[in-house]
Amino acid sequence: MTSTSLSSQQIERPASAPSSRLQGLRDGKLPRRLAVAALVLLLAFLSLYPLSMLLYGSLHTTPPGIPGTFDLSGYRQVLTWPTAVLFANTVGISLLKTVISLALAVLFGWIIARTNTPARGALEVLITLPFFVPPILTAMAWGMLGNPQVGVINLAWRWITGSDNALVNVYSYGGVVWHMLQYSTPFLFLFVVEAFRSMDPALEEASRMCGASQWRTFRRVTFALMLPAIVTAFLLSFIRGLESFESPLFFGTPAKIEVITTAIYNSIHHQSIANYQFATALSFSIMALMFLLVLWQWRLLRGKSFQTVTGKGYSPRLIDLGPWRWLTFGLCVAFFLISVVLPIGQLILGSFFQFFGFYQWDMLTLEHYRSVLGNSEVWRAFRNTFLLGLVGASSTMLLGAIVAYISTRTRWAGRQVLDVLAWLPWMMPGMVLAVGFLWGFAFLPSAISIYGTIWALLIAYVALGTPIAVRVMSAAYRQLSFDLEECSRVHGATWWQTLWRIMIALAWPSFAVGWVLTFFGIMRELSASVLLYSVGSEVLSVVLLRMWENGQAETVSVIGLMMMLLVFVFRWVQLRLIKRYISTL
Amino acid sequence: MLTKLKRTALAIGLTGLLASLAFPASAQDGGWDSVVAAGKKEGKVVVYSMALGAPYYLAVLKSFEAKYGIKVESLDLRASELAERVRTEQAAGRFLGDTEIITTTMIEEQRKTGDYIQAVGTIPNVKNLRAPFKATEVSVPAYVQPMGILINTRIVKPEDEPKSWEDLNDPRWKGKILSDDMRPLGSGNTMFAILQKKLGAAFNEKLAEQKPVFSRDMRNDARRVARGEYPIYVPQIFAFASDLKGLPVKVVIPKEGAPYAMMEFAMLKNAAHPNAARLLINHFLEAESQLLYANGWMLPVVEGVADRANDDAKAFANAKLMGPALLEERPAMMELAKKLYQ
Repeated sequence: MTSTSLSSQQIERPASAPSSRLQGLRDGKLPRRLAVAALVLLLAFLSLYPLSMLLYGSLHTTPPGIPGTFDLSGYRQVLTWPTAVLFANTVGISLLKTVISLALAVLFGWIIARTNTPARGALEVLITLPFFVPPILTAMAWGMLGNPQVGVINLAWRWITGSDNALVNVYSYGGVVWHMLQYSTPFLFLFVVEAFRSMDPALEEASRMCGASQWRTFRRVTFALMLPAIVTAFLLSFIRGLESFESPLFFGTPAKIEVITTAIYNSIHHQSIANYQFATALSFSIMALMFLLVLWQWRLLRGKSFQTVTGKGYSPRLIDLGPWRWLTFGLCVAFFLISVVLPIGQLILGSFFQFFGFYQWDMLTLEHYRSVLGNSEVWRAFRNTFLLGLVGASSTMLLGAIVAYISTRTRWAGRQVLDVLAWLPWMMPGMVLAVGFLWGFAFLPSAISIYGTIWALLIAYVALGTPIAVRVMSAAYRQLSFDLEECSRVHGATWWQTLWRIMIALAWPSFAVGWVLTFFGIMRELSASVLLYSVGSEVLSVVLLRMWENGQAETVSVIGLMMMLLVFVFRWVQLRLIKRYISTL
Repeated sequence: MLTKLKRTALAIGLTGLLASLAFPASAQDGGWDSVVAAGKKEGKVVVYSMALGAPYYLAVLKSFEAKYGIKVESLDLRASELAERVRTEQAAGRFLGDTEIITTTMIEEQRKTGDYIQAVGTIPNVKNLRAPFKATEVSVPAYVQPMGILINTRIVKPEDEPKSWEDLNDPRWKGKILSDDMRPLGSGNTMFAILQKKLGAAFNEKLAEQKPVFSRDMRNDARRVARGEYPIYVPQIFAFASDLKGLPVKVVIPKEGAPYAMMEFAMLKNAAHPNAARLLINHFLEAESQLLYANGWMLPVVEGVADRANDDAKAFANAKLMGPALLEERPAMMELAKKLYQ
């Protein structure tokens, strides 16, 4: 699939070779270079600096600050048969869950954005809900639903069929994959649905008019044009799958399933003396694997254009499915019932009883709600998290939007460096990168007071969120035709005006999705938070951890449900704004 | 429970305040008076703790603040995170913490791997420690977390209840024991190591043949037993079952004794508020502070407290102990557990 759009090189109108700095300044090259250099430095501080601390950790027998020697023993430990089995396990689980969830996400994205399926607006919000619930809560809920002994699903199955066997067992490979799907499907859906929305249906109509069937059109036109978004989503999800921790820990441990993250967790948290050398060496090994995937993505997308938003106006007309729309409606509802109603229903029900799973009249209580609403620590953490979320998500998206713009819309020198730097934090498992931040901030010169302040959290959140921000915005920019920018410039708009009135205006639905993902990523982030928080700067995830460790699962659920309510509000506002925006397009 | 604890904490604080008014400085050791004065002048103490906001811990801190007017900043972290934060801060010359409450083995480990802690100095209430607990130059016992066996009372008939650790190896429990993972460092491995030492290698070999199912979420595991997923869970930290009242579970203290984790105070090197930290350590050893822990089903470390505990807590506060796990044995025990539970 190619396009006849102008290349950005043409838009840039390359200047003649500068003969002097003044000439460069006149051409606008020097400010541009300075801006790129500043961005490179910023991203290097956010990603390379903590990674360099970890690299030191992987090559040194002791962590920073302790005398030791440089050696490769960490990497030697990685190059063993048990670790190869771990790799195979991890890649297999991640690949399976990514393929299934991507298929589901594309299906749901298409249904919601491109068909006349009933109640699409409500379904769009509902399908994404599980993504925003802390995994530990859904793990508990699925443990109650799907344990082979007394799980609700199995009890119902036995009652209906009279069988002695269990229908499902969440403590298995299937259970690990299933729990991961709860998160990756809504995550991918959020990516894909926006890409579907910003596609000009005229291309599909042309295909249909040329005699292609609906399926062929979907495969050859719709899916092909969605490639950047799909490939990006696939990569993000696959990488996240490799780094997934809660699902294998809770559902894999009883079934003796070990993956890379549980091995890292053990070597950091459950060794007689924390083995950072092995943990970091293992993490860098996965990083190498991930880097190969990113190279594959670049190769796949290089030289192709996926521009679907052009200067030509379009109206995103919906495909009339006729009576089939009830089937698509049924599919969405079925997914919603299984992935949302079953586990979240358990959480809602449990939050009104003294203990989860003991639904007796004498245990009915509102105490968990009262204890949350009356807990000043929770409110302080909520304020801190909300503030960090607002500032962090906005800064991250702004940074991501700029980096994505430079790497996808310009031919500026250094743009690829920016792209690579922005990817890096995503490639390092969160719990290891958190240690990199701890070491990095603590060993800064004492005049730079980041360690032990709320700034440490904010910087870590921006670093952790940047890869998503850049990916979301890159996928959005790739769909915008270069002629839009050219028209704007031809009509006398400045570069900034063009950026603001064209690029940002057209890409902001994706910006909004990225913002929500980043905001809730910050709300849920634990690994870095727990290592970097200080007294007074407690965040919600740290308070939730404390409550969980104190056996207050029901209170944690109440907070989880409040977070979901927040998601409802955010998504509702976001979708209303998008709707208004599209109606005025 | 929290309200009750708050009330108790306030009572302790007021009692302390009245006591300090009734028995002015002259009644106390002159040296300690200067510690009190210096501590109050410091006005703050930063404590690194593994308690993760446990109500009894917060109640003790509250009573300390009420008694001395010294603000306590408690940074709650999990064991490994706490150890790494202390190590990193000390190595980077950022001396933010004053004192820590961690396990004895972690303190030994800190001494072995670096220079992070300093002498605690004189703590008057150390004289009240009960046997076998002893303070050292660098550590002062704070409380003890013993572990036993949790059973589901609806599934396990009274006559079938395990009374000893050996009873877990009864063939009827094969495949029916849920356990904290014994391979990595944690409560499961602590139990494994202590039982290996006290009951012999044959015990753990037979237990492995019982095919216990491992899990890594202690708080939720007790509830899984309560819901009937498994009839038995080991090792059950007594204190973690104290808030499960009303559920069909019971903690059995095995006749051989309860393996335990010893929690101790240590003073961090270059502490900015060393006197306030000493006051806090001393306050933890007050009978009223220890009583809060005893009522939370933990074992107090000072004399005369266990028998004052609430009726439901008395048995746990007086439990026979088994252990402790030793730092030098850890790697071998983890290796052995890995071998037995491949």
